[in-house]
Amino acid sequence: MPKKNFATALILATVLLVAGVATYVVLEQRGGDDENAVYYVVEAPSNMKGVLAANHIDGYIAWEPFVSDAVVDGVGKVIEWSGEIVPDHPCCVVAVYNSFASDSEGQDMSARFLKAHMTATDWINQAMDDSDSADYALLVDIAVEFTERNESVVEEALEHMKFHYAMDASFTTALENFTDMYMELGLIAEGKLADGGYSNVSDFIDKYIDGSYMAAAASIEPSETILNPDSPIRLGFLKGDIHQLAQAVGKSDAVLENGKSIFEEYGLNVENAIGAPFSNGGAVMDAFAGGYVDIGYLGSPPAILKHLNAEVRTSIVAQVNSEGSAIVVHADSGITSLSQLAGKTIAHPGTSSIQFLLLKAALQWEGLELKLKT
Amino acid sequence: MLSLVKLVKGAIALNWRQLLLGALSLAIFVSAWQMYSWYLNANVSGYAAYVPYPGEVAEAFVDSFVTPAGTDGLVMSDHIIASLKRIFMGFVIALSIAVPAGLLMGSYITAEGLGMPIVEIFRPIPPLAWIPLFLVVLGYLKGPAAIVFLGIFFPILFNVILGVKRVDPILIDAAKTLGSKKRHLFLKVVLPYTTPYLMTGIKVGLGIGWMCIVAAEMVGKYGGGVGFYIWDRSDIGQWDYVFAGIAMIAILGILTTGVASQVERRLYAWMGMK
Amino acid sequence: MDGHEVDIRMEALLKVFKEETREIVALKEFSLDVGDGEFVCLLGPSGCGKTTVLRIVAGLETKSGGRVTVSGVEVEGAGSNRGVVFQEFALFPWRTVRKNIEFGLEVKKIPPHEREAVSSTFIDLVNLEGFENAHPHQLSGGMKQRVGIARALANDPAVLLMDEPFGALDAQTRNLMQKELLRIWSATRKTILFVTHSVDEAVFLADRIVVMTARPGKVKRIIPVALPRPRERTSSEFISIRGEVLEELDAEFAKTMMREMTDASVQHKA
Repeated sequence: MPKKNFATALILATVLLVAGVATYVVLEQRGGDDENAVYYVVEAPSNMKGVLAANHIDGYIAWEPFVSDAVVDGVGKVIEWSGEIVPDHPCCVVAVYNSFASDSEGQDMSARFLKAHMTATDWINQAMDDSDSADYALLVDIAVEFTERNESVVEEALEHMKFHYAMDASFTTALENFTDMYMELGLIAEGKLADGGYSNVSDFIDKYIDGSYMAAAASIEPSETILNPDSPIRLGFLKGDIHQLAQAVGKSDAVLENGKSIFEEYGLNVENAIGAPFSNGGAVMDAFAGGYVDIGYLGSPPAILKHLNAEVRTSIVAQVNSEGSAIVVHADSGITSLSQLAGKTIAHPGTSSIQFLLLKAALQWEGLELKLKT
Repeated sequence: MLSLVKLVKGAIALNWRQLLLGALSLAIFVSAWQMYSWYLNANVSGYAAYVPYPGEVAEAFVDSFVTPAGTDGLVMSDHIIASLKRIFMGFVIALSIAVPAGLLMGSYITAEGLGMPIVEIFRPIPPLAWIPLFLVVLGYLKGPAAIVFLGIFFPILFNVILGVKRVDPILIDAAKTLGSKKRHLFLKVVLPYTTPYLMTGIKVGLGIGWMCIVAAEMVGKYGGGVGFYIWDRSDIGQWDYVFAGIAMIAILGILTTGVASQVERRLYAWMGMK
Repeated sequence: MDGHEVDIRMEALLKVFKEETREIVALKEFSLDVGDGEFVCLLGPSGCGKTTVLRIVAGLETKSGGRVTVSGVEVEGAGSNRGVVFQEFALFPWRTVRKNIEFGLEVKKIPPHEREAVSSTFIDLVNLEGFENAHPHQLSGGMKQRVGIARALANDPAVLLMDEPFGALDAQTRNLMQKELLRIWSATRKTILFVTHSVDEAVFLADRIVVMTARPGKVKRIIPVALPRPRERTSSEFISIRGEVLEELDAEFAKTMMREMTDASVQHKA
């Protein structure tokens, strides 16, 4: 019996060890065996460079500055800019919570906010026209502070996107396309359009985009006084997302010569909402729903998804930027094109992100399927 | 070998009064929920859709098993398997380290003196605090598994140590007078005595393990899992499915610890210990 | 010694327990010989060190001085030539009756079929047929101690050391177990050193009764019980020996009481 007892203990230990090792080996396999699939994991963009450097993934798709961050560091290289996948694709937008703009005061505040957004965007573009100008240096300073990335990363990142606010026909078409894609994927159920009171996708986008505030903004003049000293506009935006630089410029008191910020120039008291900066656009929409945010900067896809799925009643009132995302792989890898991603593992920021849609579409056109890594 | 049927029967063998009260308690909860959803909808709350009706959640729950998701093509059972895999992995590693470590630390003052300071430094740290570090350093598989490992490791370790220390000295005396050498004392007295304590550690550890895996999956979003499912559905605003995922975790947690405590109870009874 | 060969020899045993602030001398100059096949009861006031004597012989306690030999061999730690029966039964709760009895045989690496034969013999001897596969928690106190006795005997020890084995049993069970023990003893003829604080039990069981002094414990008086067995508790001889033992014991009880009271008052003043 001592022998038997000892043997039992030995067998038990062996079984445990073998089970552990076997599980480990089975689970440790990278990717899968499907030659026509690209495998994905979901990761916060701020972590992506680190995870790539640690070799846990073969590449990622993210917004700036998390692309240039890896490129400037020598960790990654870009194989495809989002502008190459879908030229001029819209990205971030300004959204207003409908109940905030339900009265004339809220509408006036929203128009003033848009005026400030437009002024800030114009200033950014003007500063970027001359990279030797003092304004450009100031812009880089503001961006460095906002993104917590160094100057070379910021300067590189600024090259890869377009800042503008106008909502033209191609913007509308692109948003319709995003909605169509989500519906094809089953991420928005058919009934959700009718639930929201929309007859079809173009009707939905038509109503979701509200150009009236931008029209009203044209006649807004600077204000001597702050019009909403006691009830500041609660602003939502994403952490370190350089696409949303306009709101950082709008807050800076170094841009205008009179020492006021652009928001103050137009009579606005603007503060960061509770929870801001947010980790992704979905979180901004949740904060709208919770009543913590009045006006937000976020990607257009989460604005569409949560407007329909979770009935977060917002309006898209301006564009913020287009392009400005990219697919990054190891700097020293032999991968130069999308087709070579077959069998590899790529990180994206989440199902609600435009990067997911871009990646999915780009791979589809290459005849590749996007699969969750198991 | 305990059959599942036996376990279920054991669970039902509670008296009727208890069952009735349980059903009543559940009914009160569901009605309160239903009324809250009504209230939110009636007041056109901004987050009415974030608190779906119980019926909608039930529908989504069933659908989650039937209709593959548009993003990953997976159904709920795939996610359950993915979570179970990680738990199992963390569990096996925790068991294979905590049991020998606990036996050593319970038996030898030197081992306890060496091990305890390290244990005491790491024990108060919530396993979830390691997520950001583990995900980058250990990666998407080992990272979450390591979180689960930490969650399960300490309850097992401390229960094994407790078991070893609680070994009735009179049993050691008895074994000695029956001719036992040190090796026999360990294999024939300490080890069997510690087994029910180990089972208690496993029961507690599995409960914590579930909490850890869900959180780890929500941060390290890789390869599915119920935590991942919840995060993914909340990301796109399908709150009825989010609640279905939450319900699934509750069910899995109850099942796991339920089975574990049944095994524990029977083990104690069979071994004739308290 | 009634012509018996000496089986257990204790010479000038000394035992000192160290507490934080003081040393307690539990045994001093304790000497006693127990003959082969003899039944000796150790009797004394509580705290006199009778259990300590037994544990030193068993090898479960170290001695501070003196010598102990069993069958002529010096005692060095516990060993299977001295079977011990504990007041708390000390059965392994996860083992069946049979497996408890076979414990010592397992340790000795006796092959399974031989083990089974031996355990069956002792299960029969202690009248536990039908309970082979029961676990200790399913047994009454008396049955548990039957297992304890069978387990100690299964190892075929030279001597049986019993530490108040029936102390945890009710009076009726206790009387029954005393008879059972005598039956088993007569069947096995083991040397028995039996610790008890019951005068009645000692007179009923023993060949000789060793009355110990209060702490530090040493032999105060050895009283032979020359009555034939089975003994009749109501017989005048029984009652007279009982009285004799009680008298010896009462003096020691008084000493213990006095000391406890002084200790208490000292502690109270401190």
